[in-house]
Amino acid sequence: MATLNSIYGLFPDPDSADRGMRALRAAGVGANQIVVMSPQPFEEFEFAQMDRKTPMPWIAALGGLIGGVSGYLLAWYTQVAYPLPINTGGMPIVAKWPTGIVTYELTMLGAIIATVIVLLITGRLLHWKFDLYDPEISQGKILIGVTDPQDAARADLEDRLRRAGAESVKNTRRSSAA
Amino acid sequence: MARQWGMAIDLDRCTGCEACVVACHAENNISTVGEKEAARSRAKHWIRVERYYEGDFPDVKVKFMPVLCQQCGTAPCEPVCPTFASYHTEEGLNGQVYNRCIGTRYCANACPYNVRFFNFFNPIWDKPLNLQLNPDVSVREVGVMEKCTFCVQRIKAGEIQAQAEKREVRDGEITPACVQSCPTQAMVFGDLNDPDSQVSRLARSSRGTKLLAEVGTNPKVTYLQQDSWHGDENA
Amino acid sequence: MATKTPDQISEDLLRPLSGFSPRYLISLAILLIIVTAAGYAFGAQIYSGLGLAGINRPVFWAFYITNFVFWIGLSHAGTLISAILRLCNATWRRPVTRCAEVITVFALSIGAMFPVIHLGRPWLAFWLFPYPSERGIWPNIRSPLLWDFFAINTYLIGSVTFLLLPIIPDLALIRDTATGTRQRIYRVLALGWRGTSKQWHRLETAMHIMAIAIIPVAVSVHSIVSWDFAMAPVPMWHSTIFAPYFVAGAIFSGIAALIIAMACLRQFLHLEDYLLPIHFENLGKLLFVMSLLWFYFVFSERLTGWYGNESAEMTVFWLTQRGAFSPLFWTMVFCNFIILFPFLAIKKLRTITGVVIASVAVVVGMWLERFLIIVPSLAHKYLAYSWGSYRPTWTEITITVGTFAAMCALYMIFAKIVPIISVWELKAGLHPVQQASHALPQPDEVRAE
Repeated sequence: MATLNSIYGLFPDPDSADRGMRALRAAGVGANQIVVMSPQPFEEFEFAQMDRKTPMPWIAALGGLIGGVSGYLLAWYTQVAYPLPINTGGMPIVAKWPTGIVTYELTMLGAIIATVIVLLITGRLLHWKFDLYDPEISQGKILIGVTDPQDAARADLEDRLRRAGAESVKNTRRSSAA
Repeated sequence: MARQWGMAIDLDRCTGCEACVVACHAENNISTVGEKEAARSRAKHWIRVERYYEGDFPDVKVKFMPVLCQQCGTAPCEPVCPTFASYHTEEGLNGQVYNRCIGTRYCANACPYNVRFFNFFNPIWDKPLNLQLNPDVSVREVGVMEKCTFCVQRIKAGEIQAQAEKREVRDGEITPACVQSCPTQAMVFGDLNDPDSQVSRLARSSRGTKLLAEVGTNPKVTYLQQDSWHGDENA
Repeated sequence: MATKTPDQISEDLLRPLSGFSPRYLISLAILLIIVTAAGYAFGAQIYSGLGLAGINRPVFWAFYITNFVFWIGLSHAGTLISAILRLCNATWRRPVTRCAEVITVFALSIGAMFPVIHLGRPWLAFWLFPYPSERGIWPNIRSPLLWDFFAINTYLIGSVTFLLLPIIPDLALIRDTATGTRQRIYRVLALGWRGTSKQWHRLETAMHIMAIAIIPVAVSVHSIVSWDFAMAPVPMWHSTIFAPYFVAGAIFSGIAALIIAMACLRQFLHLEDYLLPIHFENLGKLLFVMSLLWFYFVFSERLTGWYGNESAEMTVFWLTQRGAFSPLFWTMVFCNFIILFPFLAIKKLRTITGVVIASVAVVVGMWLERFLIIVPSLAHKYLAYSWGSYRPTWTEITITVGTFAAMCALYMIFAKIVPIISVWELKAGLHPVQQASHALPQPDEVRAE
């Protein structure tokens, strides 16, 4: 199913995956070429630390701000928009307390939606066609691999992955090139 | 300044004859719900005469109190309506726009006077009542709240008449059906913003009280009485 | 649990997804028949009018609004509890969170239907949406019902995503193990999850943000539900204590519902190795704390009312305390407070059975609580001449029972589509360093060559 030139090893446990990762680094493979996939998060292991710091909390806060402002505007506009602004129950046309409630709810909604959108986009979800994947990950294997390796280096990388403890090492080539 | 319609009801004059109730039903196309539904407490009377008894048998005094929508200045029914079906008009009435009503019945719960009524079923009129429907008043369909309007159709008609004759509305010219039908003239209707109107004078009377004033609704109906009900310091 | 290998976990938790037992199909069919009956009752009510319900003047709200508050309250089981446990990093949460979040999503959807069911003209319910319409009028922001609309929608969107995000990796797991049509369906549902370290990291960050965001939303939702009552000048409604009182009650009933759901799952899906007595014991303790809190609120509310001695309030006060509604009131106190002492305070009785008995009592008691807040106040509101009473009709009872059946049916169907216990979170809980890593530096041997 691969549409990418790659070479990867499937490791049975996080310790060997860590060794595999170190082996690749030792071979001079850049961080942006290394791919790690695992059946569950291994945040306490080195190989899983492949992500940059994400601005997600800040974007969530921004989403909250946008949501809050639009909530306030909605509450304000719907109160003054009626051609005959109507006073109900002796309350002012733009009543502060209820406007605050709507503003608050839409602030939270904005933050939640922003978080989900950031996750979907930056987590590369909603891409159903995989350029690189192995269903064995779901059997508990950890995939450590290199994208676009130089053909000359393939044998060396394969060897290094195997020595680090990979149960199997697979080569993939872009289907157009095959 | 816009008119503020108000009413004064002299409880010392009220005989409890319920002519106002009948007149209101006829004027405002209020359907009767039938015995079975009435027994389930679903009767609709925009104005009702409440009876209270004082003393022990055989020394009983009965007290009558007509209760209708008090057209509150700060009405609890208005802000709770999500669709502005219940709103405040320029002339101080608690408007009820039937077509906007989706039937949350929230207004009826918020109303301390229980003067809002719900159409549990579509209205029907037993023959020959169907022939006397008032063309000036819309009929309400199932699922809609309704309530006393101070006979807004009569208010509008009176205002249009006065405008056509290029004059101000005269005090006492406009009367809701209940006021018109009261044989003892216990009810008076008029503009509270006109200090000389009869209703304004009565509203300022030392005999005047507001119903459930402690709830803070600023009702526009003043009840007049000179007896032991609310203490006799004004006697 | 710690003795299980990752493969065993996958197998045990994915097993309920394949095949249907006759028992499952029969109970689902019975539930769906009840739901259909409720749908018929609702249809009849739309056709003839709300008169089919038992409501009258002045008791304009009764069973439907009771159910509304009750189900929204139950929905606090999941997302709120699970978010708190996630933020505290309580490790025992792992098998609990998902079945709790599912309760939230379904209970909230059911609860949100009741404001529509109770409408006089339910076909116009969309008028609550703030959208520019040809009518030239917007909804009234001052109405607490509009706040409900915003709060419930926010909470529903929030809790649905809160439930769905951590499901994605499990859907990918099913995708990789299933075959044929099932595989194709789950391939779409898994949204292209591959388990890259970036995805894991982003998912956990997102869940963390969501957990922080969803707690204040959950609190606001039930506060706003309470303000539906507290904003109206009705005796015993117009109270400042209502918001926290309702939130506490919501969490209280939510925990009870969660315990019942977990006990059913444990029993029917044979998850004895995952939903352990310790979970029931911990949640039982939490339930007990909430019961004390609930009693504290009821006591404060009643005490303040009694000392205030305002005549309209006292009428309702005595109506529930020793009048027509007192049998229900004291049943509520028994179910929500007294019965919890033997079952939750005595360690010997705090077994799974004991905790479940207490939870069932709490669910009944909390339903009564909502009923007793709504109906007596409306029945004896101010002017004695227009006092009334209330008796439910078959329409209301059928719809009420139907929603309970709908809840069970939805839960059963969901448990067939998605593993009801998070597989990947359980597996992640297997790493021995997981607990230590947050507080302590990593042991060197993990990194040793």
